[in-house]
Amino acid sequence: MKFDSIIIGGGLTGLTCALTLAKAGQRTALITAGQSTLHFHSGSVDLLGYDEQGQTVLHPLDAIRALSASHPYHKVDDVAARAEEAARLLADAGLLMDGTTDRNHFRLSPMGVSKPAWLTLNGLVRSAEEDSLPWRTVTFANIRGFLDIPTEFLVDNIRRKGTDVEVKSFTTPELEQARRSPSEMRATNVGKVLADETALRRMVEAIDGLEADGEVILLPAVLGVADARAESSLRQLVDRPIRFVVTMPPSMPGVRLQTCLRQAYQQLGGMYCASDAVTGGCFEAGRLRYVTTENMPDERFYADHFVLATGSFQSRGLMSNYRGVFEPVFGLDVDAADDRGAWTAEYVYDDQPYMRFGVRTDERLLVSRNGVRVDNLYASGSVLSGHNALKLADGSGVDMLTALQAAHNILKK
Amino acid sequence: MAEEIQKKSKSAFNFEQCLKCSICTVYCPVSAVEPDYPGPKQSGPDNERYRLKGMEFFNESLKMCLNCKRCEVACPQDVKVGDIIQAARIRYSTHTPGLRDRMLANTDIVGTLAHNFAPLTNFALKLAPVKAALHGVMGIDRHRTFPAYSFQTFEQWYRRHETEQRRFDRFITYFHGCYANYNYPQLAKDLVKIMNACGYGVRLLEKEKCCGVALIANGLSKQARRQGETNMASMRKAVVRGEPILTTSSTCTFTMRDEYKHLLGIDNDDVRDSLTLATRWLYRMIEDGKLRLAFRDDFRMKTAYHSACHMERLGWIPYSTGLMKMIPGLELVMLESQCCGIAGTYGFKKENYERSQKIGAGVFKQIEEVDPDCVSTDCETCKWQIEMSTGYDVKNPISIIAEALDVEKTRRLNA
Repeated sequence: MKFDSIIIGGGLTGLTCALTLAKAGQRTALITAGQSTLHFHSGSVDLLGYDEQGQTVLHPLDAIRALSASHPYHKVDDVAARAEEAARLLADAGLLMDGTTDRNHFRLSPMGVSKPAWLTLNGLVRSAEEDSLPWRTVTFANIRGFLDIPTEFLVDNIRRKGTDVEVKSFTTPELEQARRSPSEMRATNVGKVLADETALRRMVEAIDGLEADGEVILLPAVLGVADARAESSLRQLVDRPIRFVVTMPPSMPGVRLQTCLRQAYQQLGGMYCASDAVTGGCFEAGRLRYVTTENMPDERFYADHFVLATGSFQSRGLMSNYRGVFEPVFGLDVDAADDRGAWTAEYVYDDQPYMRFGVRTDERLLVSRNGVRVDNLYASGSVLSGHNALKLADGSGVDMLTALQAAHNILKK
Repeated sequence: MAEEIQKKSKSAFNFEQCLKCSICTVYCPVSAVEPDYPGPKQSGPDNERYRLKGMEFFNESLKMCLNCKRCEVACPQDVKVGDIIQAARIRYSTHTPGLRDRMLANTDIVGTLAHNFAPLTNFALKLAPVKAALHGVMGIDRHRTFPAYSFQTFEQWYRRHETEQRRFDRFITYFHGCYANYNYPQLAKDLVKIMNACGYGVRLLEKEKCCGVALIANGLSKQARRQGETNMASMRKAVVRGEPILTTSSTCTFTMRDEYKHLLGIDNDDVRDSLTLATRWLYRMIEDGKLRLAFRDDFRMKTAYHSACHMERLGWIPYSTGLMKMIPGLELVMLESQCCGIAGTYGFKKENYERSQKIGAGVFKQIEEVDPDCVSTDCETCKWQIEMSTGYDVKNPISIIAEALDVEKTRRLNA
């Protein structure tokens, strides 16, 4: 099969890149080995949350300029413009998000911790301040038997921000039915149970029946795999203001990001291989000619350009064994310490060196193999070396902006 | 195996790679509608740890699994979640299949019986008292429409036309499966039409048995293994002749390529690469420039493509849809990939009917919104389910190609 571009990896990076290239009219294929870490996503996109000294960043664009030279943002030609483009891409895919690049806001984790963010799905809890929420009192209305919110942590952490929390719980006939499998009282399952109108109406009645005292009612974010329609109806129908708290993964906002971006890509006619692993490729004269896959072993996937968006260790985009850290698909050059002892720091919450490991790229995001640049293979997103996404809170931003940059580098050629 | 585990972190069905991320449960069509089903993670890798300790941890709720493999399609760590569940059923289930399950499972024996009395069978299967009896006595749901049985099987038709097929100098071997043989020989004839226009004669296997998918699902894996061995022996002869073995059913193909080895322990390594869907073979021959198709100028159709679960698992949707996209007069709408709920014989059972329809509701709604001339899919049981539940005609991509084909022009192009 022949394409203009082939993207390897179906997470935030791969989908952003594939969607951008397909929009530009390219014949595009996206090959992904199963679903992605977008399912663990918070529903908020960050640009830069903390600087390299660990201080909270309020103005991300200014702080990005001060990042050390290895950071992948320095390979993005105009961070502000690409950020605007990323925000537009999300909106065009039907993902209504709030936030600006001028100033970070703060999202609320399932544990009740405030984290800096750039864009947050409309309806999720958001605050302008790190140490407070915009309400004096809130009611946390939990689903009875729900497993994906650690309620005590959440409540305790909200109280520390000076907001009083009233905890209530509710159920509906549909939810009670679902509880027959107690282990399945997870966010995405509950979301499916509440997907039809009757179930939603009963949920509204149950919430109204709580006689909540808080200024707003906080609910676990369990509604809407592919859109925000159920959330909007609920907010209209319940007689109190409502905000949603993102849950432990797999999270509904994360699944929605994945679903909307994939659908937008497929609607443009992009080929999407949902469950196939690229097993290798043929390199000739400094270029990648084609790749092969597990499901179609005798097929050659030719393209003018390729983008590696396979993620980091968790997504198997990077791997390690007794000999070292490596990129498993093509054996590309990586930036990683040779000495195993230098991979990790002593305490788990320390700045872990392995978090900076990744595929080595030049200023155009082109990779190299055995020291030789590959002229048509780009890398983007979490597979890149040079930053610690956990410490900087810049993971989604790096994914989207480097994906857009790779797409533009391809289109410029 | 010990070496695989030690050196490559590989375990049976990649069981040890499960991170407990739960992504599989997001895509399980059963756990979405059935609170008594513990979901793929729990039924698969989680409980497998207990089952390894003792079979008392086996739970018959595993029979609610459709074997759709959408958990495997979703798994980011390549854990064969569905295989773990099916293998546990084969290994631990003490349930003995009753008459109904045996009848549903033996699609070829029942097919032979039914087609011999086809007008009578088809008439009887539509009668309310017969349906009530099947429902009450047999446990086959009364809401189901049975696929009609053909009076003449494809094999019988083929015998009459075998000499014409021998006149060609190039051949493909065709595994028609039970459905094309007993219920809908037109699909098989459509394939013959395309192949002949391309200059290929069609041969059948020396001995074809049902692929066995329904036997596996109904707890008759020993019989499935015997049938599988017979099929493999016949297919080997085609491989030796250098012929591809083409199919028109995604599920038969998936079963013989993957389930034979994973679940039944049949060695199919020497056959697997030659065994492929006809759409895939055609697409690849065309792309390699070895074959050309010409289509009628006056052909117009709007079709909505339904991604059958096993087609999704095979990863071959781009071939069937890519082939259809070659037809100039065809408008192809991709439906969001979801299970239609039938899963072979699963939806025919009284205890599964309601669940089956709930699972498929999303697909049916999408089809009504698209309002196509017909739905297209590579799976015959999806066809029954969608035709019964929506009233829209469902066609195999091969039938659409055959309908749109300009036979004379194609023949000249490939002469």
